[in-house]
Formats: sequence, structure tokens, C-alpha cells
Amino acid sequence: LAFFFFFQSSDFLFKFLVIGNAGTGKSCLLHQFIEKKFKDDSNHTIGVEFGSKIINVGGKYVKLQIWDTAGQERFRSVTRSYYRGAAGALLVYDITSRETYNALTNWLTDARMLASQNIVIILCGNKKDLDADREVTFLEASRFAQENELMFLETSALTGENVEEAFVQCARKILNKIESGELDPERMGSGIQYGDAALRQLRSPRRAQAQSAQECGC
Amino acid sequence: PAALPSAPLAFTDVNLNSRNTYEVSRRRSAPEHLPHGGTAPAAPAPPQEPAERARRAGVAGAGSSFAEFFTRNFFTKRTKELKPAVQSAPGWKLFGKVPPRENLPKDSKIIQQEYEARTGRMYKPPPPSARRKNIEFEPLSTTALILEDRPANLPAKSVEEALRHRQEYDEMVAEAKKREIKEAHKRKKIMRERFKQEENIASAMVIWVNEILPNWEGMRATRRVRELWWQGLPPSVRGKVWSLAVGNELNITPELYEIFLSRAKERWKSFSETSSENDIEDAGASVADREASLELIKLDISRTFPSLYIFQKGGPYHDLLHSVLGAYTCYRPDVGYVQGMSFIAAVLILNLEEADAFIAFANLLNKPCQLAFFRVDHSMMLKYFAAFEVFFEENLPKLFLHFKSYSLTPDIYLIDWIFTLYSKSLPLDLACRVWDVFCRDGEEFLFRTGLGILRLYEDILLQMDFIHIAQFLTKLPEDITSEKLFSCIAAIQMQNSNKKWAQVFASLMKDNKEVDKNHSPALKS
Repeated sequence: LAFFFFFQSSDFLFKFLVIGNAGTGKSCLLHQFIEKKFKDDSNHTIGVEFGSKIINVGGKYVKLQIWDTAGQERFRSVTRSYYRGAAGALLVYDITSRETYNALTNWLTDARMLASQNIVIILCGNKKDLDADREVTFLEASRFAQENELMFLETSALTGENVEEAFVQCARKILNKIESGELDPERMGSGIQYGDAALRQLRSPRRAQAQSAQECGC
Repeated sequence: PAALPSAPLAFTDVNLNSRNTYEVSRRRSAPEHLPHGGTAPAAPAPPQEPAERARRAGVAGAGSSFAEFFTRNFFTKRTKELKPAVQSAPGWKLFGKVPPRENLPKDSKIIQQEYEARTGRMYKPPPPSARRKNIEFEPLSTTALILEDRPANLPAKSVEEALRHRQEYDEMVAEAKKREIKEAHKRKKIMRERFKQEENIASAMVIWVNEILPNWEGMRATRRVRELWWQGLPPSVRGKVWSLAVGNELNITPELYEIFLSRAKERWKSFSETSSENDIEDAGASVADREASLELIKLDISRTFPSLYIFQKGGPYHDLLHSVLGAYTCYRPDVGYVQGMSFIAAVLILNLEEADAFIAFANLLNKPCQLAFFRVDHSMMLKYFAAFEVFFEENLPKLFLHFKSYSLTPDIYLIDWIFTLYSKSLPLDLACRVWDVFCRDGEEFLFRTGLGILRLYEDILLQMDFIHIAQFLTKLPEDITSEKLFSCIAAIQMQNSNKKWAQVFASLMKDNKEVDKNHSPALKS
């Protein structure tokens, strides 16, 4: 039992999804989160791309394994197969595009149906910096979030505002759920794995640093 | 008495700096070094020469230029860039900008004299007691710091230590000299190869223009032509050969293209008129989809080869790309616009006239493999992945098992590679070379290229876990070279127990159930 407890208070690995319509800035959010930079010459994602980062949430090290999916409807059948076992998701729309907001219900249905039952989803109204072109108000989006039990933030991949927060808040909520027993990391398809805590304990703490540095370089 | 003590060099500083340089260069060149280098990553690597960096930058630049092979211009420019670095103050060499040269093992006095000779300014060594004060204000302070004794507030070096430092320093210099000679040889070799390559391209062009193209049907399948083809098509005939090889089964004429283009234009016009009135929320699904794809084309064009700045709004090829993609969605409403197409159309536009680009585009996308992917036909895609895995296991069994152990299925990396025909994932000039042979060998070559990439990076991929492999393969290193990649592709055998790609694929088509049970579970839903 003590052994289990030790693991629980150490490292976790969470599988995260970034989903939402094409052009809402999913890859840019990911890039901003990992590189702390805005990628202004971004390609569009075909299929899926990846990112990973170790974050510290309330003293715990959580490694996020992020699946950044293609936004086009046509790819939905492909990207759906990547939902399985996701612990968290950023559901992204563009505050300057009504259409991307209207599509949220579909994305939500998919995520709830295909990812883990207890998937924690944070709604991200991206392109917050383009307030002049806004087509979706903060109020209606937060109401939508409330109705669907989502966390909600307006983000800007350009300025970096709320980007880190979105990932961290989502991870924090998952951790809380684990602590309260609502989520069982042992269950198959929870999207949660114990990290390499034992390894880190054995070697020096430097290893963890080196690893995260390496990740950022990727 | 005025002579400065010939102090052993405090090379700790040197080390520190060269390690920093190493970090930077490693980050840039990791993929190049890791699989083959063996020695480089382990030991603290030598400081990289600026020329080396210039070369990397240059290669990257060449990669993003329109598939032009290394031009003579570029090379001469590179050698020019080299000169100022060589002339830089000796002091700098100690900091890893340039590896130490023959003139390095000398003490601060000589350096000082050289410096004076160059600047025409006399520097009188102040009396030893006053010297320290000046150090931080002198331009040569850093050099002096290294060449001198330890600061006054620290204990002086013992004789043995000084001796050891001198010895270690000498070893470093000898090592650096060796490296330098090796580098020079390498540079000469590269230069010779480039000249040869240019000559080859020039002579190949003559052969293509004068012999092959006029007798296309008779010669295309001959061994000589196929071998020449593998070497890469000269850029000036590339578009023409692609067009001929892709063919025009669909019998599209330039006039037909004009018709579909004008239809597309009408649609854009009506779309921009109606879209302002209401949301498309309630419109019929097919209409919404079509209109969404018109919007998406606009959006994706600006995100196609963004670093080239030619397809973006206001760029010279923006309207062309828009036209070709728009006309295609009118020509093939059953396929429509699918992300990934903009890259294919863009590469064709870079090599062909507008109508020819459209004809090649439509015919290329009509090939069975492309049709399966762009229609996102799952069961067909699974068969392609399964066939790929047959040859993967055959050619790279160790890596195959490694991927299996992480349940890393080929769809994760192949989707991007196949949808864009490598034009997004490889440097453009290299992608064009892949297209060359793809036009010669067909779909099989796309999967062979994929295996070539896996083979090229096999050693590092074997060291990685799931997320790192996935990250690596969905974002390949930018400094991948055509020589290395093509030698790896050449080493891939597209033969599985006497069955070729087409036969393996055909047999997979026959027993569907078997395939669905065993392969790419990720795509099952």
C-alpha cells in the first residue's frame, strides 16, 4: 500500500487531445505551450501531430502527451480513432468565427463517446487578441461551458495569454479527480499512467531536468 | 622583465564555450550525427566552424528554394563568407568560434604583438601590480585573462598544474589541427561532388531534352532512362516528365479546366454574397460542407509552404493555387477539397503551367492510392498500411518490433506523408526527388520512401519511446540530405518472399478479414 501511495504522489502521464475545427489555432496553442512562442508560419495539420511537456501541478510532476489533431471534417473519421484513452482535452474554437463555435456540440459528442468516460475537457475560445472581430461573446461561451460541464478560458496563442493555464488547469482537475477517487488511474483506458517516478527516484533529480529540456527541443 | 609570464592557458573557459557551441550544433544536427556519427555525441564535440554553420543554413535555404539544386552561386558565396571568420582576432578562436589553428600555441605576448601590429596601437604592458586593474577595460581582456595566471585573489597555479595545463592545451591544439585537416578534406570533397553533380545535371538535361522526351513512349521503360531517372530529374524538364509520367487518363483539356475554373469563380461569388446574410448552420449538409471547403481552401492556401511567401495572400502564386483547387472541387465534387491537397497542387504549380498543373493534379489524385486516401476510405487505407507493414517487418525487423511494443501504428506518420506526398515533411528539393521516382515507380515508391526514412533514422528511433518517435516522425529533421535518404531508400527491398508490392497488396485485398484483425487497430472504430 505504501508503495502505491509513493507512486501516486509522484509522476503521472496524461494523454491530452487538442480538438476543434480547422483554423482555430490548435497547433499554435500547442506550439505556444511548448515553445513559448507564436508560430506565425504554421502549416495545417494532416492527421495528427504530437507534443509533450512535463509540468508541475501543485508539486506533482505530470507529463503531458499531447495529440494535436487535424481539424477538417473529412479527417474526423481518422482522428476519432486517436481519442481512445485520452484523459484530458482542449476543445478549441475561434472567437472570431461563429462557425467554429457552432461545431462544438459535435466535437463534444465525439470526445465524450470515444475518449475515456471521465475525460476532462477545457473549452478554449482562441484568438482572444482579435477582440475587434469577435463573433462569439464570452458570456454565451461560458454558459455553454457550464451547461456541458466544461472548464472554460479564452486564450491567445499569439500573446500566450491563458495558454499555459488551459493545459495546467485541465491537468489539475484530473489530478483532483484522482485524489478524490473519482478517477482510477488503474482502470484501462483512463488515459493516465504512472510516470517514471521510480526511475527518477533512483537516479538524480538532474535526470528529470535533462529529460524535460530534451522534450522542449523536440 | 617586461615580458609577460608565459602562463598556461586556462582552458576551462575554452571548454565551457566549446560545450555551449556543441549544444547548439547538436540541437541543429542531432539527427545527422546520432545515427551514424557514433563518436560525436558522446565526447564533448569540437566547436563548429562558422563555415559549417553557413553550410547548414545554406542547405536549408536551398531546400526552401524552388527545388533548384545547389547552384554555383551559392557555393561561391559560402566560401566568401568563410574569410572574415578566419581573419578574426586570435582571441576569439579560443572561444570556440573557430577551431584553434597553427598560430595558436603562442603566449599572450605574441598575441599582443599581433594585435598591436594590426591595430597600429602600442600597448605598453603595465607593471605587474597595476596590470589587473586594466584587464576588464582592455579590448583584449578576455584573451589576457585566459593566457595569464589566476586572479590575484586566488592561489597561484603550482608548477605541475601549469605544466599539465600546457600539456592538455597542446593536446587540444593537436586534436583541433587534425580535425581541421579532416574538415578541409571534407570541404574539398563536397566541392568536387557539387561540381560533378552540376555537370551531371547539365548533361542529363541534354539527354532528357534531345533523346528521351522526343521518344518518350519508346524510351521511358528502358534501363538507361530508368537509371537516369533515379538520379533525379533536371529541374528544367521535371514538370514535363511528371506530366508525361502521370498521364492524362481523364482526358482533361485546358478548355475543360477553364470551364471548371469559371464555375468555381461563380460559386465563390455567390458564396461571398450569401455568407454575410446568415450562418450556414441550418443549410443542407452538402451545401454546408461545400461552402466550408471553399472557406477551408482560402484558409489552407495561406498555410501552404508559408515559409516561401509565394502562396500567401498577395503572393505571386496565391491566385493560381486558389484556382487549381477551386476548379478541382467543381470537377470532382465527390472528392472535394481535402487538407493535404494544397501541398500537392502547390508543388505542381511550381513546376508546371496552370492548366498543365491542373491536369496533372486531377490525374494524380485519380490514382487508386490517392483516391483511397483523399476519400478517407478507411478499409482501403488499412490495406495500404498493412502492405506497408509487411515490407516494414521484412526490411527493418528490429524497428518493427520496437514500434509494435509501443502500439505505434503506421497511420500515425504515414497519413501525413502519403496525403502530401512528402512535400510537407521533407525539404522541398528532396520531396521533388521523391516525386520524380514516384512518377516512375508509382504508389509503391511512396511506401518505399517511408521505409527509407525509417531506415535512415533507425538507430535513434530504436532509442526513443512512443511520444518521441511520434514527434520525430511527424516532424522530421530539416537537414535530411538527398544522398543519405536515397541510399537508404535504395537499400529497401520491395520484395517479400518473392512477392512484389502489387502482389502483396492484391493478396491483402483478397482476405479482408485477416487484415482487419491484425493490423492498425488504431484506425478501427
